[in-house]
Amino acid sequence: MPIMTMIQAIQSALDEEMNRDERVMLLGEDVGKRGGVFLATEGLQEKYGPERVIDTPLSEAAIIGAAVGLAAHGMRPVAEIQFADYVFPGIDQLFSQAAKLRYRSGGQFTAPMVVRMPTGGGVKGGHHHSQSPEAHFAHTPGLKVVVVSTPYDTKGLLKAAIRDDDPVVFMEPKRLYRAIKEEVPADEYLLPIGKAAIRRPGRDLTLVSYGGPMVEVQKAAEEMAAASIEAEVIDLRTVMPWDKETVLASAAKTGRLLVVSEAPRTASLASEVVATVSEELFDQLLAPPLRVCGFDTPYPLAQDKLYMPTVTRILNAAKRLLEY
Amino acid sequence: MVQEKIHFEPFSQEPIRLIDEQGHWVAPFAHGLPPETLRRFYRDMLAARLLDEKLVLLIRTGKTSFIAPHAGHEAAQVGIAHALQKGHDWLFPYYRDMGLVLALGVPLVEIFGQTLGTAADPAKARQMPSHPGSKKLNVFTVCSAIASHIPPATGAAIGMKLRRTGQVAVCTFGDGATSEGDWHAGVNFAAVQRAPVVFICENNRYAISVNIRQQTASANIAIKARAYGIPGYYADGLDVLASYFVVRWALEQARTGAGPSLVELVVHRFGAHSSADDDSRYRSREELAAERQQDPLLRYQRFLEQQGLWDAQWANELRLEIAKELEAALQEALKAGEPNPLEMFDDVYAACPWHLEEQRRLLAEELA
Ligand SMILES: Cc1ncc(C[n+]2csc(CCOP(=O)(O)OP(=O)(O)O)c2C)c(N)n1
Ligand SMILES: [Mg+2]
Repeated sequence: MPIMTMIQAIQSALDEEMNRDERVMLLGEDVGKRGGVFLATEGLQEKYGPERVIDTPLSEAAIIGAAVGLAAHGMRPVAEIQFADYVFPGIDQLFSQAAKLRYRSGGQFTAPMVVRMPTGGGVKGGHHHSQSPEAHFAHTPGLKVVVVSTPYDTKGLLKAAIRDDDPVVFMEPKRLYRAIKEEVPADEYLLPIGKAAIRRPGRDLTLVSYGGPMVEVQKAAEEMAAASIEAEVIDLRTVMPWDKETVLASAAKTGRLLVVSEAPRTASLASEVVATVSEELFDQLLAPPLRVCGFDTPYPLAQDKLYMPTVTRILNAAKRLLEY
Repeated sequence: MVQEKIHFEPFSQEPIRLIDEQGHWVAPFAHGLPPETLRRFYRDMLAARLLDEKLVLLIRTGKTSFIAPHAGHEAAQVGIAHALQKGHDWLFPYYRDMGLVLALGVPLVEIFGQTLGTAADPAKARQMPSHPGSKKLNVFTVCSAIASHIPPATGAAIGMKLRRTGQVAVCTFGDGATSEGDWHAGVNFAAVQRAPVVFICENNRYAISVNIRQQTASANIAIKARAYGIPGYYADGLDVLASYFVVRWALEQARTGAGPSLVELVVHRFGAHSSADDDSRYRSREELAAERQQDPLLRYQRFLEQQGLWDAQWANELRLEIAKELEAALQEALKAGEPNPLEMFDDVYAACPWHLEEQRRLLAEELA
């Protein structure tokens, strides 16, 4: 089985889907001749031509809005937004058009499209190359939201997103693009949207996270294991709709829940998971659930590393849960 | 055919050019600028070029994390800086304007503080390098989001008109920016309000890898002004005096109540898009080599030589003097040291709310 980075897994998924279905096409800034600023679409314009891989003018509204029209007309567009931070000029198209098309037409029109975007911090990107805006998307009914953390998941979930009949926002933590390599099948497989993965079984506490911080969460779990504390680690993978069943089963078993996310803490997905577990498992919990998140500030350049959940912060919160 | 007054017609077929490739003055009017001013333009262009080289060096040696090279844009940027009334008019720049803000008077130590992310950055090292700003000089702090500063420039200009301050807002951006909805929203509103704002496109014909022909089907950028009912001036941005006089003309019009205009300054981008880009992936080395032959500094040097205002010895002395200033400012910016991490919670709001105070306390405990 070939060894791939997340970038290679994206290339492979896009290539297979374009090869399989001629309705699949790509559009975005610099995705053609340059192959994208992160090279996720490298070689695809050469292979499939400039009609199916379009270097667009610099307008996210044009990219996302045109994807809505293409999708409604029968294509399967995959739009790339250069950084999640730059989706905002296209938000009206994503929220008013893509998200609500099925609903406002009573199911007559649909927008089966994917909007890919690099997300998250840790690359010295300052305000506008570091944000994690998934909560905005999850808070907009009609959008599915995937946040990947491994090359294997990336390929299987991106292919599933392209075949999904709803608009899917597909978020790729840019600091993991080349950080992790693993075996990824060279041929066809799909992973279900909406299903979490248990990365590590455990009985003492439940660690729930997704995207970039999965690296720190797993390191923290390993350190705990060295001290004979067994954390169950859950990677949500999809944050809308998120896998409540898997999280509740684990939290019911361990009685202790810690949710980790690098997005700002207030009104976050971490808050949503904690609220749901508190509502449904109140009398089975051994300690109040906790969150470790990014700070409620714009993402600052100088504090690039301090801003995000660190292994130490995760361990300290776990300790509070265990000593409650 | 000598013109009495210096004025320009909008929507020319060819870019307005006052100095040709060989350095000859080809305008139908006398420039009327004193030798000190003409030499000052050269000094500022040279300083912009040397700053660019210094920033490239900081990237190569790993001392900074990002730069957006401005080499090739110097004539346009220095022309703009001298056309506006420094510290009176407002500038809404974009990330490739380091030469412009330098010529406008933003101190080098602040520029290096921002580049290195030290406490010498008045904006507290919160943004990436190439994002300067200065309240003192009315330089609106750069935002990475392309064209997001166009409507704010319009708003400031409406304010200037309402309050009769006699100021003008100058707003710069690249060719790619003209595709964003915010660009059109801002220009249209300014036109309807006849707001005193000059929109200036530094057109280097690339938006990262995307060529101008994929960016717009318009014959040029200036012509877009026609649709909004304002003048569009198409000028050679490799010619510092064309840049200066055309922008000065547009500012005069805005200041005297004639409303906004769009100025297109055609330039070259000698470097990659940024330190994160490899431009050999999308533009040929032959194309780049041909553009480098049209160095704006060289053209202006030829002009000054013909006026008896340039010699190698003077230029060398100038070069050494600027190099010294750059190094001294760099050292001073380094000396300022890292900013205090607990400052990260300041300025989110005017007063820090309870939840941010809580987060600051947690971080302080962690760092103790
Ligand atoms: C809203 C938004 N989308 C995308 C980007 C990423 N990006 C940064 S610079 C750039 C190209 C800009 O080109 P242009 O406007 O021509 O200016 P130049 O860099 O050539 O001076 C892009 C796409 C961004 N900063 N903001
Ligand atoms: Mg450009």
